[in-house]
Amino acid sequence: MTDPPVESVRVGRGAALWSVAAAVCMAISVAGSYWIAPEDVEGPIQRLVFLHVPIAVVSLIAFGVACVAGLMYLRTRSQRWDDIVVVSCGLGLLFTVLAMITGSIWAKAFWGTWWSWQDARLVTYLIIGLIYAAFFVLRSSSDSGAQARFSAVFAVVAFASIPLSFWAVRTAESAIHPVALDRNGLQMDGPTALWFVIGHVAMTVVFIALLKVELLQRQMERRLSSIRLALEESAQ
Amino acid sequence: MADGELVALVGPNGAGKTTLLRMLATLHRPQTGRLTVFGHELPSRVDQVRAKIGYLGHDPLVYLDLTPWQNLRLFADLYGVDWNRSAIEDLLDRVGLLPRAYDVVRTFSRGMVQRLGVARMLLHDPQLLLLDEPYAGLDAPGATLLDAVIAEGRTAVIVTHDVNWAAHHATRMMVLRGGRVVDTLVVADATDPDAIVSRYRELVA
Amino acid sequence: MSRSLRQIRALVRKDLWLEMRTRDTVVAMGLFVVIAMVILQFGFGTRETDLTRFAGGLLWVPITFAAVLGVGRSYVAEREQRVLDGLLVAPTSRFAMLIARAISITGYLLVVELVAIPLLGVFFVRGPYWGSVGWIALAALLADVAIGVLGTLVASMAVFTRARELVMPVIFLPLLLPVVVAAAGATHAVVGGHDMTSYTRYCVFLVGFSVLFALVAFATYEAVFDD
Repeated sequence: MTDPPVESVRVGRGAALWSVAAAVCMAISVAGSYWIAPEDVEGPIQRLVFLHVPIAVVSLIAFGVACVAGLMYLRTRSQRWDDIVVVSCGLGLLFTVLAMITGSIWAKAFWGTWWSWQDARLVTYLIIGLIYAAFFVLRSSSDSGAQARFSAVFAVVAFASIPLSFWAVRTAESAIHPVALDRNGLQMDGPTALWFVIGHVAMTVVFIALLKVELLQRQMERRLSSIRLALEESAQ
Repeated sequence: MADGELVALVGPNGAGKTTLLRMLATLHRPQTGRLTVFGHELPSRVDQVRAKIGYLGHDPLVYLDLTPWQNLRLFADLYGVDWNRSAIEDLLDRVGLLPRAYDVVRTFSRGMVQRLGVARMLLHDPQLLLLDEPYAGLDAPGATLLDAVIAEGRTAVIVTHDVNWAAHHATRMMVLRGGRVVDTLVVADATDPDAIVSRYRELVA
Repeated sequence: MSRSLRQIRALVRKDLWLEMRTRDTVVAMGLFVVIAMVILQFGFGTRETDLTRFAGGLLWVPITFAAVLGVGRSYVAEREQRVLDGLLVAPTSRFAMLIARAISITGYLLVVELVAIPLLGVFFVRGPYWGSVGWIALAALLADVAIGVLGTLVASMAVFTRARELVMPVIFLPLLLPVVVAAAGATHAVVGGHDMTSYTRYCVFLVGFSVLFALVAFATYEAVFDD
């Protein structure tokens, strides 16, 4: 019933390695984008894009992971995929909130306002945030038998609504958001673009590390409660 | 299970009788183990299995705000049964509801609603009946009716707490306890139903 | 396929029979829309007599909330009268169940809009309105289908949760926001103006929305009902 401790150590090692990698990558990325990347004409506040854009992109990656995990759960009905759905949605929501906060700071610096309904991306992130907050409402009030199924379906529905939200908001509003990546390619010089890409890689590694750690935690909690149950049964 | 068998699932409360029946009825997915119905391992080909099953649980599974005729017409469409007014009226006549065929079910007595449930179960001429304490809600005419249906020799699985009934009517008795089948008693060849009952008491004691 | 069509027809007819008997969904939704419009009048109309500029909001805020009411009634009969197992043990296509439900909701919304769209002109618009009613109705039909498809998928889960009266709007409304954006936008495009370019763009969006969520429903519908 209980796995040998050796295996637990091996499971923990993956999470630990990713965590170390995340720390190193973030250190490099932060150092690079604040000291090495050339200063933009807009001043130091422009360096926020090295943080803001990767956060926003990684939140979408997290929701994509949740969607795929949801489809996999529906196929296999395996607990592992359900864990990934929940943890990814949670991390995605966290990154969405961080993206809105950093975006808001950026908006204050450049447009003089904390919030702009004219910016399609900011508004879309608000909608996405509300949708994924609703995920946790649905999950917490579902019966235990339906919880994982409903979570999986909702993760797919919610991911499908991300492009639709963006499309609707974009249709309704003329965007005043500066476009960094348009049809002509990156509007950045070489070194800046390099640190921009490194920022994305670092943030993705951070996401993977957090995902690993939280999955491990859920797995351990379940094992702990099954051990506790076995102990209580044998004590009787 | 062979054709024409009547298998009774018996056991103490919480033994998993109803759960097993609901799994057979494709309402629950088995967590572990395998379940084969009509040669299809669930949940594959589930619609073909469903089309051959007649299920009657604690609830009659009919709409209280519709009439018996509307209910049967709906289920005939869902089962893909060819129907016409007289076929449905014949069925309603058989369960003794023809005079009330166009009245709202909500105004019926419990026994009448349950008889409509029996009609719903028989509508598509199922090969396998899955019955969960079917006598519980039935009135006297309904019980006679169900006796007749079972006596027709359809294959049936019946969940019951009434071990005496099972020892007299079933061909086999599966004794469940704590979610496991602890023994299967062959009733058909036994000459003494009381011996079966006492064997059951030993098993669950 | 013809079997599924027969099932869809039977299930829609069942909803219609139930609604004719109990009359507890459409009447409540229609009344709700009128009340909501009166509330909006006291929220905004006391400052201005002509609310043409806000026509989209005045129409779609009430309809959106009425949709929540209607969608929340999904499977209430099945739950209260305990017949859901009856549908599920039958070889009922789960996809047919979703489609039938979506058709019923779309139908309820159309009835409600039969009241709401004329009322918008009577209560709030002081200018040319009746010529654009056809365009509004077309956009409304597209929006209703979108609401029906999305609403069914979501409601089929929400009505089986605890505290469903709360869960239902909280999970449904954020997903519905893009539809509100487009439906209100399309209404603005033709009331107090005649901007057919953006009107068309909004309608294309509504169609795209319905198609995409129909695909999502197709990929996930079994898990909504089946354990």
